[in-house]
Amino acid sequence: MYKGIGASAGIGIGKVVVIKEQELDYKKVTIEDTEAEKKRLSDAIEVFIEKTTALVETMKVTAGEQESEILEGHILMIQDPAITEQIEAKIDGEKINAEAAVEEACDFFAQIFAMAEDELTQQRASDLGDIKTRLIKILLGIEEVDISAVPAGTILVAEDLTPSMTAGIKPENVEGVLTEIGGKTSHSAIICRSMEIPAVLSIENITSIVNDGDEVVLDGATGDAYVKPEASVVEEYKAKKEKYLEEKAALAKFVGQPSQTADGHVVELVANIGGPEEAAGVLERDGEGVGLFRTEFLFMESNDVPSEESQFEAYKKVAETLEGKPVIIRTLDIGGDKALPYLGLPTEENPFLGFRAVRFCLKRPDIYRPQLRALLRASAFGKIRIMVPLVTCVDELRAVKAIIEELKAELDAEGIVYDKDIQVGVMMETAAASLIADILAKEADFFSIGTNDLTGYTMAADRGNPDVAYLYSAYNPAVLRSIKNIIGAANKEGIMAGMCGEAASDPLMIPLLLAFGLNEFSVSATAILQARKTMSLWTLDECKALADEAMQLTTEAEVKALLEERARS
Amino acid sequence: MVSKKFVIENEQGLHMRPAGVLAKAVTKFESDVTIVFEDKKINAKSLLNIIGACIKCGSEIELVCEGADEEAALAHATELIESGLGE
Repeated sequence: MYKGIGASAGIGIGKVVVIKEQELDYKKVTIEDTEAEKKRLSDAIEVFIEKTTALVETMKVTAGEQESEILEGHILMIQDPAITEQIEAKIDGEKINAEAAVEEACDFFAQIFAMAEDELTQQRASDLGDIKTRLIKILLGIEEVDISAVPAGTILVAEDLTPSMTAGIKPENVEGVLTEIGGKTSHSAIICRSMEIPAVLSIENITSIVNDGDEVVLDGATGDAYVKPEASVVEEYKAKKEKYLEEKAALAKFVGQPSQTADGHVVELVANIGGPEEAAGVLERDGEGVGLFRTEFLFMESNDVPSEESQFEAYKKVAETLEGKPVIIRTLDIGGDKALPYLGLPTEENPFLGFRAVRFCLKRPDIYRPQLRALLRASAFGKIRIMVPLVTCVDELRAVKAIIEELKAELDAEGIVYDKDIQVGVMMETAAASLIADILAKEADFFSIGTNDLTGYTMAADRGNPDVAYLYSAYNPAVLRSIKNIIGAANKEGIMAGMCGEAASDPLMIPLLLAFGLNEFSVSATAILQARKTMSLWTLDECKALADEAMQLTTEAEVKALLEERARS
Repeated sequence: MVSKKFVIENEQGLHMRPAGVLAKAVTKFESDVTIVFEDKKINAKSLLNIIGACIKCGSEIELVCEGADEEAALAHATELIESGLGE
């Protein structure tokens, strides 16, 4: 058995398809028959165009028009006489093989683009790199793995699932995912959960351990995975899978019910989303709104800062889809582990303590103002709330609010409508914000606790580092006190106390959070019904009694043991 | 030979998408189609050359068409550029 991080619940039973980047192994050689070499080239280009056209069509559906346009550009580039003539001239004149000619010609243009002053042009250099690799692969006869073409019952195994790979996934054909890197909150985990694909991440060397066609069973909740299991194990997991699917069906009866404790204490149960296309799924799963719309994906999908107009369209779409239900949109949370190549940010020695999120945004009004303007304009089409990430002092909140006031005046002058009472809140995710929660609560319209970063910053532990990951737990008394303090400060000022981190959907944490006075729980869409069920199993008094007991304990292990012992299901 | 001057109004200049629309459209014509920009002559049928020229929003360009179907080529390109090249 192999043990990894269970990142997306469910049982997967299927056959392995390994996604591996192969080395391009070729030399520059002299050839005799230049005509034959040019024929090889033109055949390869034809295959390239065919494959890319198919990819463009899939991406239009799975990833949206914008992402597919870049690939459409690749088709035009490879047909461009400027490059094809250069490749052919090299084959004719220097008598070199097509692989070497393609490499030299693509590098030639990539270098020209890389030297341009214009950022947008510089990025085209990487497109030429992509074209080069893919075309040489075709020349060498190396099959490109097309994730969208994997057969039903596939277990995908890769070092990591990159965003562009996930774009090609057809959820109905993928039984499960195994990767070498990633954790519960990595991109791959988020995508797998939203597609309801069981996933176990962070299994060392798994791409070398398995071969295509190997049978694998995995449990995305426990992080267990078996390669070529014995028949008895397969039987056991088939039974588990059935039970899991039954339980899932049982949750269906919580659809349409209020989110409340057994004694009728009602809270708001909303969802976290990463893009406008996920908004419809929130309603399908009976979410009461959106508690966190991460706007980074808009910025990561494109090759340049998305315009005010395109952001406006995305925010408007979410607001309209949610039909007047609240939508909390977090402003750009970039930097740290989430870099944007086109911003050209310098590498930092300590990115998590560095130039990121609101710190970056306040220094870059050219990027921040269009986003805030787009949010204000979109607020006319639904109930948008603006959330500011990584606040550590009240000055930052004030600065953002001042920009919003300026933009409101601008919109008034232009006669553009927006929600004049739009709420501006703080994402509570630093120890500093927690310690001044009373100060922030007087000026913020709401709080939303980001327990992932709050836990990391409070415990000073990187969840991705296996040597210190044991410290990274929200059950630590330090983290619990911090959460309690934040919620208490919000309750005192009468503003909403929300939570958009992983802890909000943890069945062990939910009774504690109810006891502390949390008003809003924002969870991944697939966890909504489970969270609603957990809430229904407790009265508020029972929650408070449990919380009193838990807060007396002195270690993480004791807290966890108590919560596990009292857990209800 | 026929020609016409334009001011590029695309927000991000002639980047991938608009340049692609233009190159794709003029390739269909037999005539040579050239963009004159800051004394440089750029083959408008080459997406790579257009991108490499870094033509930004607000830049003035002259489009020169020369060949059997030059009138039609210029008329078609004019229509496309004035309608924003697909943006």
